[in-house]
Amino acid sequence: MDRGTVLAGAIAPALLMALPAAADPLVWGFQAEQNEYRVTDGDNVYAWDFDAFIGTDEARFVWRSEGEYAFGEDAFETLENQARVQVPISDFWDAVAGVRLDTPSGPDRVFGVIGLHGLAPQFIETDIDFFIADDPAFRFEIEYEGLITNRIILTPSFELDLPFTDDEEIGLGGFGPSMELGLRLSYDLVDRAIAPYVGVHYERSFGESSLLAQREGENPGAVFFVVGARLQF
Amino acid sequence: MAYRLLGRATLLGAGLGMALSGAAVSGTYDITVDRIEIDTGDFTKTGIGYNGSQTPTVLRFREGEEVTINVTNNLSEETSIHWHGLILPFDQDGVPEISYDGIAPGETFTHRFPIVQSGTYWFHSHSGFQEPDGAYGAIIIEPEGRPLARFDKEYVVQLTDKHPHSGDRIMRNLKMSADYYNREQRTLFDFISDASENGVGATLEERRMWGEMRMMPTDIEDVQGFTPLINGLGPDQNWTGLFEKGERVLLRFINSSAMTYFDVRIPGLKMTVVAADGNPVQPVPVDEFRIGVAETYDVIVRPRTEDAHTIFAESMGRTAYARGTLAVREGLEAPVPELRESPRLTMADMGMDHGSMAGMDHSAMTGGQDGEHTMPDGTTMKGMDHGSMAGMDHSTMGGEHTMADGTTMKGMDHGSMAGMDHGSMGMSTGDPFYAAGSGLVPKAANGGKFLSYADLKAAKPLYEDRDATREIELRLTGNMERYIWSINGVKYEDADPIVLNYGERVRFKFVNETMMTHPMHLHGMWSILDNDNGKWDPVKHTVSVSPGTTVFMETEVDAPGQWAFHCHLSYHAAAGMFRKVVVVGGPEDQRAELDPVSGG
Amino acid sequence: MFRTTATRAISAALTLSISTVALPASAGPGHGATEAGEPGKASEVSRTITVSMGDNYYEPETISVQEGETVRFVVKNDGTLVHEFNIGTAKMLMDHAPEMQMMVDHGVLEADRINHEAAKAMQASMGHGEHKMPNAALLEPGQTGEVVWKFPEHAELEFGCTVPGHYEAGMVGDFKLTH
Repeated sequence: MDRGTVLAGAIAPALLMALPAAADPLVWGFQAEQNEYRVTDGDNVYAWDFDAFIGTDEARFVWRSEGEYAFGEDAFETLENQARVQVPISDFWDAVAGVRLDTPSGPDRVFGVIGLHGLAPQFIETDIDFFIADDPAFRFEIEYEGLITNRIILTPSFELDLPFTDDEEIGLGGFGPSMELGLRLSYDLVDRAIAPYVGVHYERSFGESSLLAQREGENPGAVFFVVGARLQF
Repeated sequence: MAYRLLGRATLLGAGLGMALSGAAVSGTYDITVDRIEIDTGDFTKTGIGYNGSQTPTVLRFREGEEVTINVTNNLSEETSIHWHGLILPFDQDGVPEISYDGIAPGETFTHRFPIVQSGTYWFHSHSGFQEPDGAYGAIIIEPEGRPLARFDKEYVVQLTDKHPHSGDRIMRNLKMSADYYNREQRTLFDFISDASENGVGATLEERRMWGEMRMMPTDIEDVQGFTPLINGLGPDQNWTGLFEKGERVLLRFINSSAMTYFDVRIPGLKMTVVAADGNPVQPVPVDEFRIGVAETYDVIVRPRTEDAHTIFAESMGRTAYARGTLAVREGLEAPVPELRESPRLTMADMGMDHGSMAGMDHSAMTGGQDGEHTMPDGTTMKGMDHGSMAGMDHSTMGGEHTMADGTTMKGMDHGSMAGMDHGSMGMSTGDPFYAAGSGLVPKAANGGKFLSYADLKAAKPLYEDRDATREIELRLTGNMERYIWSINGVKYEDADPIVLNYGERVRFKFVNETMMTHPMHLHGMWSILDNDNGKWDPVKHTVSVSPGTTVFMETEVDAPGQWAFHCHLSYHAAAGMFRKVVVVGGPEDQRAELDPVSGG
Repeated sequence: MFRTTATRAISAALTLSISTVALPASAGPGHGATEAGEPGKASEVSRTITVSMGDNYYEPETISVQEGETVRFVVKNDGTLVHEFNIGTAKMLMDHAPEMQMMVDHGVLEADRINHEAAKAMQASMGHGEHKMPNAALLEPGQTGEVVWKFPEHAELEFGCTVPGHYEAGMVGDFKLTH
């Protein structure tokens, strides 16, 4: 058992204590920001990124799942599930604690999670997470919904992953960041429940991570054309 | 007792009269609460209806009558009926967990209470979101004496905002994403048109300002996508009231919406407002009026020709309209106007335009929320924390702020603001019940007279005018992003009850620190709106408080027991803008059996 | 209801008794004459009719008069608001409404009193303020006033209160002109 798990294990129950006895009604929901087929000249990929939550105004339990399944390899390039507890700490920000479990095709990893989730000024949806383990990492994600019309929405997004140590087994070099840039154009077809979209998705790794990828014979950068549907219910 | 309860005295007289005539009036009424299919013309949905119908049930009582109402719950969940605006014993008020235990599925609850007033009122479920789902009806009470005005015909015009989603789903969606139902948000095209009008720089600056606050000037209707109904009928189903040329027609407007304010007009007809919230007011001829959620207005119209007239009720956010027709026979139609342009909130509605903020008592305001507000000149103010604002360096706020719409905010003279009195409130806007410079100030479509709260004067004040014995400040607060609404920063679940003493006259001070309009409804006792008319201050049951304003109302605490006090926007009430009020003391036999905790 | 009926009965009786009295010949339009008639001379008054004003209604609501008759109306404001007894055609009464609204807007006409100070201020600033009209009596609660009016030969006349909103709310009565 690594430090992260221990830490998360200690924090999560403390946060759950903040849940009120029976005062607030429970709310729940499901939001998939990415649910898409990525086409490139290499291996095509199905990818998702969703939050399912249940909770109250005081605390929400969130199951966050992200994954990329490569059809050519018949393998999960990434498969990451987090159990997170979010507790409001200000009008627009939640503190986050939880556990992250990576179970892709290949070696598994477990992290404790401490982070912030919220809405930054100018309506920028923001996640800042520290992943605590023997090989700790940092992640910064932002997203903005630009309204072309009230139903046609252009969503730029940016994600930065920064490992703090070398974890060569899974292709990460210390302080060699990887980055994702996305631009998705969606249309709210059914309320906000189903919003089909098209877009581009660009991934690239830098530094040590980039070198590791090249050594494996992979391209450190790739552009995808994506088609998918945002879901919210 | 130092004062006389005129209402009670009248009632006593009435009782005496009945005793002498030996004919106490009593009536029995039956209501079933049913699951029904609702057809709005735009969509059909499963909802709730009284007596199996989407046409609201109208109960007609007489002042002085002893009513017995049997409410049978045919739903598979608990229900309740609150008699909105009626003065009655608290255990008949119909609020689960405050008045009684509610009505279990399959059960019949019998309400018994005397009718001690007259006018237009309504009734609705106080359980969950049954009211938005369709559980509402109208109450007409005929006065013992002369009618409030002369009329030949009368109609109830009951408005609602029927939504295709169930109330539970709407609440969940709002909690998931507060702007879920806002389809009036500003887009790229709005940006282009604003930029071409005001310049790119000013437009960017204005967008940046709102973005800093993470608030939207389009936050006027939380829940859009509804079809407004009149008496259960959608705009295409065209509810029609018949008249003969020259007749005086009394229209009893009731806004039974979950969330929606309406601006009502009848093109071609002047309306004379003769009652507000059931109580007669000195008549005011108007061209248009805004009816808050849960309010009622009685108006007289007199069509002098046989032409049909459209009753046109636009939602305040201009996203939808209710439409009916007054005609000499069924099937006639009059032109239906276009929806006007959606209003936009301004910095004044955010309580930010302090130079002209009317009548605000800064010293008494204490902060509730944090978060930062950045003014166009780059200075930063702590959120709505007016308490700390009082101490900030006002010199940094001097000069002129130019808004994107081209209006300028003059430098703020805080010195003179201190001396601002209620009487001079908002002279610049024309309506003291909106923040000066508010984007919500209504204008009559024909350029004529739009009713203001300031116009309402009681025709028959129910109480002698006297000074309040105590003031209670209620800051209307909220967190739009999380969809949490509260009073004094505390939501219902975490709040202690408001304790009032029988016999006192309490002055409630509402300070709206949110950017939404809240119709505040106190159960069981009258709300005397302070609109600077002294002894003629109107007697209401629901008092609407616009963003960025402070509104006072007074209540003669003359009803023992425990009562609900809340914002009547369904999802605001459910999200915490709600209080229990406990009245301590009063006649022994009317007192509530209070649990010691809440009674303290 | 009872009182209304009784009053009507009395006014009917008066009408009958007066019908035997010889009417003065029409004097032709004099000062203040309108299609609604003209100010009456005290010496020509054939009878007195008492009208009570309540909050937004009159008692009686119908008054029968003879064509060409001069009547003294003794008008009592029994209500709690300022009211007016104004004789005219429906159009005349409606046309008077904006003036009354202006008086309200200038604070001259308060709910239950006539503010003479405000009237002077209005007079000074606008050149007109309070004015006595021979066909009308504007009364504070408790006040009694008189209108002596000579009715014309033919007209459709009403008596109404032009305090804003009152007429619309039903504070209007009908004159029945008979031979």
